[in-house]
Amino acid sequence: MSNFYVHFPVISVMGLFLAAFLVEIFGSKNKYVRYIISLIACLAAAAMTFYLIVPVFLNGEVISYWMGAWAPEGGYAFGIGYEIDGLGLFFGLLTALTFLMSVIFSWRYMSRDGHLGHYYTLFLMLAGSVLGLVFTGDVFNLFIMIEIMTFASVALTAFRHKKHPEALEGAFKYLVLGSIGSSMTLLGVALLYLTTHTLNMAQITALISSQGMQPTTLLAFGTMLAGLAVKSFVVPFHTPAADAYATAPASVSTLFSGMVNKAGIYGIIRLTWILFRAMDKEALMLLLSILGALTMFIGVTMALAQHDFKRLLAFHSISQIGYVLMAVGLGTNLGLYGGLFHAMNHTLFKGLLFLTAGAVYYATGTTNLDKLGGLAKRMPYTTVCFLAGAFAISGIPPFNGFASKWIIYQAAYEKALLSGNIVYLIITVVALLVSVMTLASFIKVTSAVFFGQTPASLERTGEVPFSMQLPMFIMSALCLAAGLFYNKTVGIFVNPAVNAATDPAKYVDTMMGDGYAFSHGIAPQPVTFTSVSIWDPVFWLILFVIVTCAVTLVAMSGARERGPISLPEKTADDKHATFFGGEKSLHSHVGGSDLFWGFKKDLKGYFRVMDDLHSGRTNDYALWVVLGTALITLFTFIFMS
Amino acid sequence: MPDILARLVEILLVALHVLIFPGLLFAAVGGLLLAGIDRKVLARMQRRIGPPIVQPFYDFFKLMGKETIIPAAARPGIYKAAPVIGLVSLSLMMLFFPIFGHKAAFGGVADLIVILYLLTIPAVALIIGGSASGSPFAGVGISREMVVMLGYELPLVMVLLTVAKKVGGGSLVFSLQSISEWQLESGCLLFHWSMIPAALAFLLIIPAEVGTQPFDVAEAETEICEGPLIEYSGAPLAIFKLNTAVKMFVMTALFQVLFLGGINLGEYWLLGGALLFVISAVLTILCMTFIHAFTARLKIEHLFKFYWTVVAGLALVSLVLVWFGL
Repeated sequence: MSNFYVHFPVISVMGLFLAAFLVEIFGSKNKYVRYIISLIACLAAAAMTFYLIVPVFLNGEVISYWMGAWAPEGGYAFGIGYEIDGLGLFFGLLTALTFLMSVIFSWRYMSRDGHLGHYYTLFLMLAGSVLGLVFTGDVFNLFIMIEIMTFASVALTAFRHKKHPEALEGAFKYLVLGSIGSSMTLLGVALLYLTTHTLNMAQITALISSQGMQPTTLLAFGTMLAGLAVKSFVVPFHTPAADAYATAPASVSTLFSGMVNKAGIYGIIRLTWILFRAMDKEALMLLLSILGALTMFIGVTMALAQHDFKRLLAFHSISQIGYVLMAVGLGTNLGLYGGLFHAMNHTLFKGLLFLTAGAVYYATGTTNLDKLGGLAKRMPYTTVCFLAGAFAISGIPPFNGFASKWIIYQAAYEKALLSGNIVYLIITVVALLVSVMTLASFIKVTSAVFFGQTPASLERTGEVPFSMQLPMFIMSALCLAAGLFYNKTVGIFVNPAVNAATDPAKYVDTMMGDGYAFSHGIAPQPVTFTSVSIWDPVFWLILFVIVTCAVTLVAMSGARERGPISLPEKTADDKHATFFGGEKSLHSHVGGSDLFWGFKKDLKGYFRVMDDLHSGRTNDYALWVVLGTALITLFTFIFMS
Repeated sequence: MPDILARLVEILLVALHVLIFPGLLFAAVGGLLLAGIDRKVLARMQRRIGPPIVQPFYDFFKLMGKETIIPAAARPGIYKAAPVIGLVSLSLMMLFFPIFGHKAAFGGVADLIVILYLLTIPAVALIIGGSASGSPFAGVGISREMVVMLGYELPLVMVLLTVAKKVGGGSLVFSLQSISEWQLESGCLLFHWSMIPAALAFLLIIPAEVGTQPFDVAEAETEICEGPLIEYSGAPLAIFKLNTAVKMFVMTALFQVLFLGGINLGEYWLLGGALLFVISAVLTILCMTFIHAFTARLKIEHLFKFYWTVVAGLALVSLVLVWFGL
């Protein structure tokens, strides 16, 4: 029983799928039965995944598991293998955390909907598929997991179609575009099998490394990259994301942004850094970073123009994925490090923000920014959690978003200096600018939803129940902790993932036998990188507290001479009433969507083009996906051979 | 025992830095004095006598003694905390500036990107505070403040990257301390001709950051009654007014660190440094006053266009020149 934990990955994935069927069989009538089955499956899977931190992260092992003990014979891998290295476990942990938080949140959040048996079945299928996707060591198995993930996502998007008919439209777009992405991935997998005669990722890594890039391999690379980019909603494949995130229940949106698009990013990293070991090619770096920069800029500017809370969050999700892709695509170790750290932080803060959006929807029944307002007094805990998430995503110190963005800026600027290419300098400027736009956009949400004037219809709104607050509290605490103790966080979680991506020798050897990697030309590469700037968050926190105390002290010392603080009376009085300059109050309300008037007016040309491109027609979007795929494939052929 | 004593002295020293020099008190007094000079000079330019230079101090203490009215529509906690948070981040920033060869109090823990983020916090505090006061005028004000922020942030980022490239050459240098040391060796950045457009751009950013005419669209007294500050009174208003003054001081100090850090004073560093600091702070503020005196307030869309074309263009010229090694 020394290595009992090698069974954990496969048990956790199978447990989730098994629970999905059990829910459908036993839980379709009784809400307690189905919830307890789902909760236990999620808890067990998460616990087993978290346990793997000890062997994989702390002891540096790579766990391998052959289904049915079909170990490789005669130098070829036949069976389906699970293989968990630092990179896989890193994304596995993000997945486990996300579905655990979401399942706790779902108990009360979904309690007003019907057909919950279907909901939990699909939920568990989605959780199991993403966990399987990041744990598997087999490309065809990867494709199957992508398929399950896509169809579970599509069905969950349409879950509230009776109440919100537009959910069907969102699901349809997701279905069409997701299928194109899946087909591209399948084509890539088939071509890979054609050239290497194996489906095992470790063996493919070794064989491609020894064979070099052939035309067939290049085509496989191009189509798989495009297929995975569709799954992570990178521009120009981002269009289904906005509709899907906005119309799905908030607990599902949390899953989408926390693990579904992370699965795509995981696939891209696995593909570029490990399978094809292609991150030494300047052309690919340029392609990925430009795609990333475009994604973050288009995402954030579209977010500025939104009127709906969740749609706005969806565009921010796209934008933040752009940061991750850009950083990973820089091809430097510092970039990968920043990108992975940001992926982790994005799971934390965007999950949190979608949960708060869900709480707002639960309490008020709407997510329209123009109809909300003044909820801070009525939902104090949700407001605090939202502010934590908003500060984290805008990168205000000492939250986690600041630490990872700060590494990304350094990485991009370092890349600009090293390569002497002015494109990377522009990307650095764009990255810094996008961060401010993110901040502005979240200030808009804050003032439109939680502050400002309360519409009469929301006077009786109350705080959400504790089981919905709990996941929000946990996520907020994690956001703060990951920012404050970022040295420890990256040391334990991110470093092993970076090591796994840059040094796949051990990954190959564990699966195929010692020496296999070396004989195919993969030599171990020790990771070296330095982060030049200085940032000590704990020191900053202490300093911040000291100065706050000092300012308060100074303010208090004047209190003897200072006038009284005058609080409003119960009865209406002129002294505490809001000043309207003689107008009726109704004339003066500023809706949430009007907040960027000057900005939108100056950039109206840009916004008109964007509006035309985001036409909402599935045909147009499908055209974009096909065009994007063609361009990426063409690019790989012209510049990478 | 001596161990504990040494610790105690260390803690006292930190407290001294934070509270007095170069932290809170120094920045507050300096900022209010600069504000006074600004008002006096402006008045003389407009053929008025103007208030005494210490008028901002009187204003501050008068407001501290007034009644604080919390409007019925406001969220009291955030309404009161917002100005304090802005002041804290501003006085924190002072601790990281190396001024004329003096080592910064906590120079080892900050770089340009941290400063860039800290600079946004006072604006965010103003926006959040105004938003928490629940007034529609504040709503208009904060929307303008946000657009102003978007406007000046692009040129600011470009100026900072230009400085980093000029100082670092082929390597990554973001630390303020090394920028200051580089200038001691190779002369002020302002006197390198390729940096002059960037310095001009930075001088144009200061009035928008501080919110003086013609870039005072967010507060526009004559139009939207001071926007975010409309419902504020008493001590919170006093602290917001103090924030504006301190921001002026911090921005001039940042200008000195970035562009004027290279005058080697030898053994007269204390007196000479102080004198140079005062002179360059006043000169920087006078540039601002000068623009203030002969312009009228811009519309918000004009302001945004101005920053993204003219000011960003200036910064871009420097960036391109420096990129090609000039």
